[in-house]
Amino acid sequence: MARGAALTIAPPAGHRRVLPWPGLLALAVVVAVLGTAAAGLVAAAGHGASLPRLDYVFGLLRFTAFQAALSTVLSLLAGALVALALARRTRFPGRPLLTAVLNLAIVLPSIVVVLGIVAVFGRAGWLAEALRALGLGPRSWLYGLPGILIAHVFFNAPLVARILGAALASVPADEWRLARHLGLPPAAVFRLIDLPVLARELPGAAALVFLLCFTSFAAVLALGGGPGTATLEVAVYEALRFEADFGRAAVLAAIQIGVTGVLAALALGAGRRAATTLPSGVAAVRPDAESATLRWLDRTVLLAAVLFLGSPVLAVLGKGLPELASLARPAVGEALRASLVVAIPAGLLASLGGLGLSLLTRTLDSAGRHGAARLVRTGTLGALAVPPIALSAGLFVALRPVADPFALGPAAIIAVNALMTLPFAMRLVEPAVLRAGARYGRLAESLGVTGLARLRLVEAPLVAQPLGVAFAIAAAFSLGDLGAAAFFGTGGFVTLPVLLYQRLGAYRTDEAAAVALLLATLVLALFALAALATRRHREAG
Amino acid sequence: MLDIDRLTLRYPDWVGDYSLRVPEGALAALRGPSGGGKTTLLNAVAGFATPVSGRLTFRGQDLLPLPPAARPLSILFQEHNLFPHLTAAENVGLGLDPRLRLSTAQRAEAAAALDAVGLGGLGPRRPGELSGGQRQRVALARILVRRRPLWLLDEPFGALDPGLRCEMIGLVDAMRREQRATVVMSIHTPEEVAGVADMTVTIESGRVRTD
Repeated sequence: MARGAALTIAPPAGHRRVLPWPGLLALAVVVAVLGTAAAGLVAAAGHGASLPRLDYVFGLLRFTAFQAALSTVLSLLAGALVALALARRTRFPGRPLLTAVLNLAIVLPSIVVVLGIVAVFGRAGWLAEALRALGLGPRSWLYGLPGILIAHVFFNAPLVARILGAALASVPADEWRLARHLGLPPAAVFRLIDLPVLARELPGAAALVFLLCFTSFAAVLALGGGPGTATLEVAVYEALRFEADFGRAAVLAAIQIGVTGVLAALALGAGRRAATTLPSGVAAVRPDAESATLRWLDRTVLLAAVLFLGSPVLAVLGKGLPELASLARPAVGEALRASLVVAIPAGLLASLGGLGLSLLTRTLDSAGRHGAARLVRTGTLGALAVPPIALSAGLFVALRPVADPFALGPAAIIAVNALMTLPFAMRLVEPAVLRAGARYGRLAESLGVTGLARLRLVEAPLVAQPLGVAFAIAAAFSLGDLGAAAFFGTGGFVTLPVLLYQRLGAYRTDEAAAVALLLATLVLALFALAALATRRHREAG
Repeated sequence: MLDIDRLTLRYPDWVGDYSLRVPEGALAALRGPSGGGKTTLLNAVAGFATPVSGRLTFRGQDLLPLPPAARPLSILFQEHNLFPHLTAAENVGLGLDPRLRLSTAQRAEAAAALDAVGLGGLGPRRPGELSGGQRQRVALARILVRRRPLWLLDEPFGALDPGLRCEMIGLVDAMRREQRATVVMSIHTPEEVAGVADMTVTIESGRVRTD
């Protein structure tokens, strides 16, 4: 009662003298980057020399939304089928393999996946060869809508399966016991237990997937195949890179930021309801696991998932491994260096910025200024709504009058990637910062441990591990980024994803696969490191 | 003397209004139901909860304008009294220098304090390697080196078994007699502090009732 009341009014008051300046500095950098980009867009759009025609904009919007909607429906269907099959087949022998492939699909850089899809479904891919062996003449069908849909389902169905799987696992074991006791038939189990859980999660998942597909860049750029299948994101890129049409790029980018902003707000609203359940972690025995029909359906679904998700990965391995010698070329070494020059500072900026902002929100909260704290949190999450290409376009046109944008390329790529990964970093670091404050804030304040000493003695050791995880994940995302890197990268500064894209475009698929292997290895190593640190952190308490 | 005079704390669903005088060098035990406001009172004296009205003085000095670390007191919480990533010796050392830049003499003082609470030689251990009772002993050692004249103990041994609890209260009693400290301590049952407490008051619904 008294204690609870004290907590809601003034959460542990022990943070009044934690330095707010790291957070203020991070906030200033975020605002400066976003402000520069916005100013650039406004100025360029204001020129109005070549405003795009309305029917052109509508066409772009229509196709962008159409492919995103179709991708979302397919991803939700496939993801739900896989989640249900995994929930029912707790002893499926391929389960560990499928779980690994699902995780892989979520973390692999999109351009690596695109390469794998080309290697399987492309003109000279495995599927075409198999069809040819059967005497069926292969036709070119991948580039355009089919390629975009395949890539988007590859990226997002695993994400949906993970979200829905966690929700299904949160059904209490008592409910399953009751269902078995009452002898519910499979159809009733689905209607009475699974469906309500899925229905609760679907709006949030749908909004998230739609947003991701709406702003997808690498897949559409590499697999889109022409102006008829361009999305806003790709149109902005092409307007700037190939036609130097700043006015058009600015207007399209502004439209996209507006649309994604609304979508992100919807996703956030829908996601909040979805995130209220916790997985119990106990695999319950479901009464419908015995149904023979469902057993065959589930096995088919799981096998198809393993094949669909596994074959592009295998194709990259199969094409890349024999070509590993090509990695000795100087271009690869330079691209590796460029990638590290981007990923390491971006990871550092995102993780330290996340720490600074977390300290700031905590200080604001304990000073009773919850509104300001919420503003900082929502603002950071809002970075997710700014598409990287639109942001890059803004920076590009803003920098152009004062300096050569390509000379500032590395700095701009770092800034865009740090900003894009900041929400993830904050989400990882903030709970640890809050926990450190709730547990030890009063102790620190009663002992007079303040300022830098407090950061060194209290927060740094307690937050070190989540901070390291945030760094690894932010660096991994930045390593795989094709958006900003393609935008600002030129002959002089080519990162691994850009090199991969260039080789893919030049039909040097085998060499591209070798680069993809190198890139995937780096990214997976970072994610493995992060997973290891998280597990040790959890075990340590 | 610690003088708490109509110290009022207001929350949306709860009001505390405390008056209590603890003579110099006395040990005052606070009993009462959980949720009755013992912790809130100690938090207010320590500076973690801000009263809306009333007076709070110790030896005639007004404590209310002072930030927590500047108040002439040491506080022991129910839990989380030690930083888990610092050794026992370092946790004690924080009481000597909040920046933890310790001279040789200060290190020796911290070690001596650990000796005094019966933890000689355990200085290099981290809290995770100590038992619950040992952890509270480390926190008591820190109170010793801080040499503040007023000690606030918030059910510090509630998590320990009764025998150990008795032993710890004996240790506190010896410590406070040696340093002539004034002690305010919340407890579960009066038996815990029989023969040790100079006065026992009940706190219920945010008010002090002298027995």
